[in-house]
Amino acid sequence: MITRITILLVLIVALLLPFTSWSLDDELRLEAVFLGRFASFVEIPNSASKTQFIITLIDKNPYGSFIYDFYKDKTIHGKPVLIRHVKRIDDIGICDMLFINVDTNTQRQAIIDYALKNSILTVSNSRGFAESGGIIQINFVNRKPTIKINYDAAVKSGIKVSAPLLSLATVLTGGRQ
Amino acid sequence: MIVIIFFLISFVFSVSEVIADDTNEISETGKYYDMPLEELVYVQTQSRAEVGSRTGSRCHLCAEVPIDVITSEQLEASGYTELSRVLSKLLPSFNYPRPSITDGTDHAPPFTLRGLNPDQVLVLINGKRLHQGSLLHINGTIGRGSSGVDLNTIPIRAIERIEVLRDGAAAQYGSDAIAGIINIILKGYGFNNSVNSIIGKTTSGDGLMKEADLFYSFPLKQDGFFNITLEARHRGETNRAGGDIQDNGRINTHFGDPDTKDILLAINTEIPKGDITYYIQGLLNRRSSKAGAFYRRKTDSRNIVEIYPDGFLPIIAPKILDYSFTAGLKGTTDDAIKWDISYTQGFNDYHFYVKNSLNRSLGITSPTSFDAGGTRVMQNMISLDVSKRLGEHYLSGGLEFRHENYKIYSGEQASYILGPYSDWYGGSQGFPGFSPENEVSSSRKNYAAYLDLKYALTKAITVDLATRAEHYSDFGSTLDGKLALRIKPTSTVLLRASMSSGFRAPSLTQSYFSYTQTIKDGNDIYTYGNYRVNHPAAQALGAKDLKAEKSRHYTAGIVYQPNKNLALTADFFITDIKDRIMPTTYISKWTLPLSPEAIKILEQYGIDGLVYFTNALKTSTKGIDLRLQYNVDLTSGRNIKFLGGYSRASTSIKGTTQNPHLLGISMTDLVLDEYTRVTLEDGQPKDSIKLWTKYESKKYDLVLNINRFGSFSSTYGKEKITFGAKWTVDAEFSYKITKNITLSIGGDNIFNVKPDEWGNTDDRLVGSNKIIKYSQYAPFGYNGAYYYLRLGIGF
Repeated sequence: MITRITILLVLIVALLLPFTSWSLDDELRLEAVFLGRFASFVEIPNSASKTQFIITLIDKNPYGSFIYDFYKDKTIHGKPVLIRHVKRIDDIGICDMLFINVDTNTQRQAIIDYALKNSILTVSNSRGFAESGGIIQINFVNRKPTIKINYDAAVKSGIKVSAPLLSLATVLTGGRQ
Repeated sequence: MIVIIFFLISFVFSVSEVIADDTNEISETGKYYDMPLEELVYVQTQSRAEVGSRTGSRCHLCAEVPIDVITSEQLEASGYTELSRVLSKLLPSFNYPRPSITDGTDHAPPFTLRGLNPDQVLVLINGKRLHQGSLLHINGTIGRGSSGVDLNTIPIRAIERIEVLRDGAAAQYGSDAIAGIINIILKGYGFNNSVNSIIGKTTSGDGLMKEADLFYSFPLKQDGFFNITLEARHRGETNRAGGDIQDNGRINTHFGDPDTKDILLAINTEIPKGDITYYIQGLLNRRSSKAGAFYRRKTDSRNIVEIYPDGFLPIIAPKILDYSFTAGLKGTTDDAIKWDISYTQGFNDYHFYVKNSLNRSLGITSPTSFDAGGTRVMQNMISLDVSKRLGEHYLSGGLEFRHENYKIYSGEQASYILGPYSDWYGGSQGFPGFSPENEVSSSRKNYAAYLDLKYALTKAITVDLATRAEHYSDFGSTLDGKLALRIKPTSTVLLRASMSSGFRAPSLTQSYFSYTQTIKDGNDIYTYGNYRVNHPAAQALGAKDLKAEKSRHYTAGIVYQPNKNLALTADFFITDIKDRIMPTTYISKWTLPLSPEAIKILEQYGIDGLVYFTNALKTSTKGIDLRLQYNVDLTSGRNIKFLGGYSRASTSIKGTTQNPHLLGISMTDLVLDEYTRVTLEDGQPKDSIKLWTKYESKKYDLVLNINRFGSFSSTYGKEKITFGAKWTVDAEFSYKITKNITLSIGGDNIFNVKPDEWGNTDDRLVGSNKIIKYSQYAPFGYNGAYYYLRLGIGF
């Protein structure tokens, strides 16, 4: 009984300590890294901004404040990185890369279609994303990243994906892997 | 006291690092950013786990409750593919002795967690409950009086990872989650195909292992998949029996692993269609096994010399069929509510056959092979789970309906009948069959509802509150709760604690098992054996309908993770259980000082003696788990991974329930003889150490696995015998012939360590230099060293 009460008391005392937030999940941190690295290996002819490389997260932001802190000092294609988080398609505005994290396929497809029309590089960790017209899909299989690229969608968006990135990915072209 | 010290240390950690910020996290991740892309795609992330939460997978070190994750990389670096055997080398507190000459238990040995019973562990496949076997372990093995899940029915190559929750979780998952939960995640999307083959044997020249397996993944549209795993395995028998001094020192008995042939199949498929994903997962195992009973010498009164002029060794050769499947659909609504509805069916049929035997009471016309009947369980379950993220909080809930059925079916008449040629030795020798009197088909229904709220009080403090209500048609209702707290005082330290209540429903095997034999005394016929709880004789002698075992759980732990490559965890736990269900000792006038009333009841029912199950004991299990995880990234794609684990769990008996007054004996005499007490408190190692290391390079891998199995005790007569702790070493060297072809050579227990022997005894069977030299409680068996070759081809 003493042990049980001790556990409770110490936990209450521990509650009084100042705290920091728990580190971001290892997988999500690596995924956040890949966003910038993907961008380095693609060429977006009609870049949204001449002064900034804009990465927009739509709907949910799985990376929290980490992604803002991480890209604070980074540059992509010689431009500082701006991270934006929006909730709706109407709020996307101009951007170079769109990370899509939505709940339903209907929402996802609408965003993909929007990005295609506006030559935005789309990235998601949702399975089936590349097959649905998204450009880069990243998943973790057995704790290692796997990349799937819809080459046709990239071409249609006017986005050039470099050979080194293609060589590490499963490439969908003509609707096939 | 230990807990106080632990928290003081945690406090010091917290205060000393309280000014820490996220700088480390950013700079550490920055290293990834600077990596060449071709190296970045080979970075391995930390393991995730789903168990213990209804809100999806998360980093297992970040969880509110202690979780171990065993990866496929660890599982597959072994010369065995029997999952229980492999886990016994990887998971501290997982105990898997190899009993022999224990009837059905030889062929489906139980495993335990934290020194508790095999039925006090819940096993899930992709989060869905896996059924227990129909075999009730009734001989003198670890887990006597329980039915457990047979993990060896699952092909190892089908598994992505195994999550082991080291905490009670009945408030989330229902019955059985007392010692913990084992959640087996099958390989899903994106896995490569492979074929493997293993051949190996012990240095004694037996136990020949021949195994081949295939994992094949068919990709489907929208990143769906259909994965199939096939495995064929033949493990030859081992024999460590000594010579029989009454048979000129000849080795006439089998004491070791049975000869076992398994065919295993696993499927796992997901078919996405719009916002709905249809899924099916299934396991199928067909096992044929053979092991000996005790030898009947030529002059043994159970032998008929006209049939076996030199005596005989009865062979128990069961055929076991086990399958389970889940079919369901899951998705997310427009309101971001995740839902999952599924149907699960589980089935186990344990059919006994006896060969090279006879029924002494049938004389020289007796058959020599018998169908001895068997046992069967069927579980059907429908479940609905929903969850929704509410900002930083998660709310989940669900409903579940379960129907279970347990059957005993009789064998052929010759397997159980008492014929005219013997008053005593009816039925097939080695294992008399189930008789029509034992037949039963009993069912029960179970309804459950649960709610689980994970509430983020602040960014650093999360509270998990769960409650689950259940109603069982046989014993009534339960209501359990759980409170878990996770506090993150600094960027590298996490404190966690939980309190919960739990229960284990009495298994149908415990309530309805019946296995009796017949003898003659003059013109009187008597029966004896195991009687179900509701048998009139058992009820007259004090048996009551079984009620659930109730448990209380307390855990407190700390995670220290200064960087991605190093993690240390320490967790203390207490598990109190009351009304633990056990078989009584043999109740007869020959073995116990029974009251005249009790003797009269036995005579009235024509019973010589009986055993029934009862809620008997209150126990407390306390312990500590320490884990160390350390990775070293070397140059040129080389790395070293180290996983160390120490577990200690000590169970003590705190009391007994009230005895049935009519018997005239104490509850201690009824359920707690010296053998039972020693088995419960000291029969399993109190502590264990696992040190797993892998050196990985582009061309070859080296795995070294060092195990310490703590001491354990058993009884010889009424004397407690303690067997010392032992260290064993496993090693494996893998050479990558090409990118896709790997040849491995390895050894299990390479220094040929054996458990301590029984020592000198007066017994003919048990003792050093006798037929049975080793205790069957030995946690790593007694085969000695085993070497193997494995060829693996990926494609």
